[in-house]
Amino acid sequence: MKLLSRTLLKIASVKLAALAVLLVLGATTTAMAQNPRIETSQLDGLAAKASETVDVNIDESLMALTTKFLSTKDDDERKVKELVSGLKGIYVKSFEFESEGQYTNADLESIRSQLRNPAWSKIITARSKKDGSIEVYLMHTGAQISGLAVLATELKEITVINIVGPVDLEKLTQLEGEFGIPELGLESSKPKRKN
Amino acid sequence: MNSNLNSDADYLWDKTGEPDPEIQQLEEILGTLRYQPRPLEIPAGLHVDRQRSFFRSHAAPLAIAATVAMLLLGLGLWLGLQRLQRSPQQIVKSPDTPQVRPVSPDENQNAATAASSHQPEQKRIEESPRHRVNPSLLVRNSKRDRNTAVKDQQLTARQQQEALAARDQLMLALRLTSAKLSLAQRKAQSTNPPDLIHNQHKIG
Repeated sequence: MKLLSRTLLKIASVKLAALAVLLVLGATTTAMAQNPRIETSQLDGLAAKASETVDVNIDESLMALTTKFLSTKDDDERKVKELVSGLKGIYVKSFEFESEGQYTNADLESIRSQLRNPAWSKIITARSKKDGSIEVYLMHTGAQISGLAVLATELKEITVINIVGPVDLEKLTQLEGEFGIPELGLESSKPKRKN
Repeated sequence: MNSNLNSDADYLWDKTGEPDPEIQQLEEILGTLRYQPRPLEIPAGLHVDRQRSFFRSHAAPLAIAATVAMLLLGLGLWLGLQRLQRSPQQIVKSPDTPQVRPVSPDENQNAATAASSHQPEQKRIEESPRHRVNPSLLVRNSKRDRNTAVKDQQLTARQQQEALAARDQLMLALRLTSAKLSLAQRKAQSTNPPDLIHNQHKIG
């Protein structure tokens, strides 16, 4: 009887250990899958070929520090502060080249492969052979947006934007031309598509 | 002869028949060596080593230890992952000779000073047909202590410079993001002309 109970205890312990291992592995995998931060360091090599490079890396702590310097008295700054409050990071990489064909499909694939994760959903795809393409992805946690990713490519330009945290897309889109942020008129120089 | 042999054989087989003196003598000699049931007596001075497998004898504690170790490993992985996400990458933009390099504190200070003169830089962006970026905006976040929580404590001069530079970076990032999102929105709308829906509404 005593031997039986000891054997059962051993079996239970081993099963518990196996369950714990599975739980840990599962939790780690889920955490990685639900991570709205995308890795863009593989594009760093393009900086050597680019004529214009933009690289912005603002993590959570720097974001908190930065928002302290946005005034609450000024309306514009207050609106920007509201927009970025709660964000955990903004990461932008943009390369502009003198000539075409400086970046490869492999460069794009390294980003797209991360965005194929089921946690991401593509909300906008605008493709044009002449003007390039823009893909906008969102990650949701429950009903809330937890991440935004934009992959914009043109013949001589590639831009990857990754915002981590709850993003207000409407407010963000309306920023252009407001708050002292100039209208960049990105589309004005290009012919409009006819459909 | 034959019957004698048979009777001997019976005695030899099951002790029936006529007893054979020779056999009886042998029985007496060998009888002292016959099995006699008695309990096993283990000598008091004899030590028996228990050679049980270590893993078998300590299965339960080992399983618990492995569970704890796996939990710690998982926690470590998770923390490492979180830390990796926050690790800053140091990249500086130069319009003529683009390169990726770390920024020294002195450079950072200069850049922050340049970033504070925000007006002329913004004017240049407005004039540009495309989003030309002022190099002064692309200062790198210098290494900082992530453990120091930025709350209501007094900010050091260096932190202020970092924050100013980061604010410009933030504005630049927001500009780009907003521009790209607007462009995406416009392109998406142009591929789905509103007239189509409008006409359908009229017919309906």
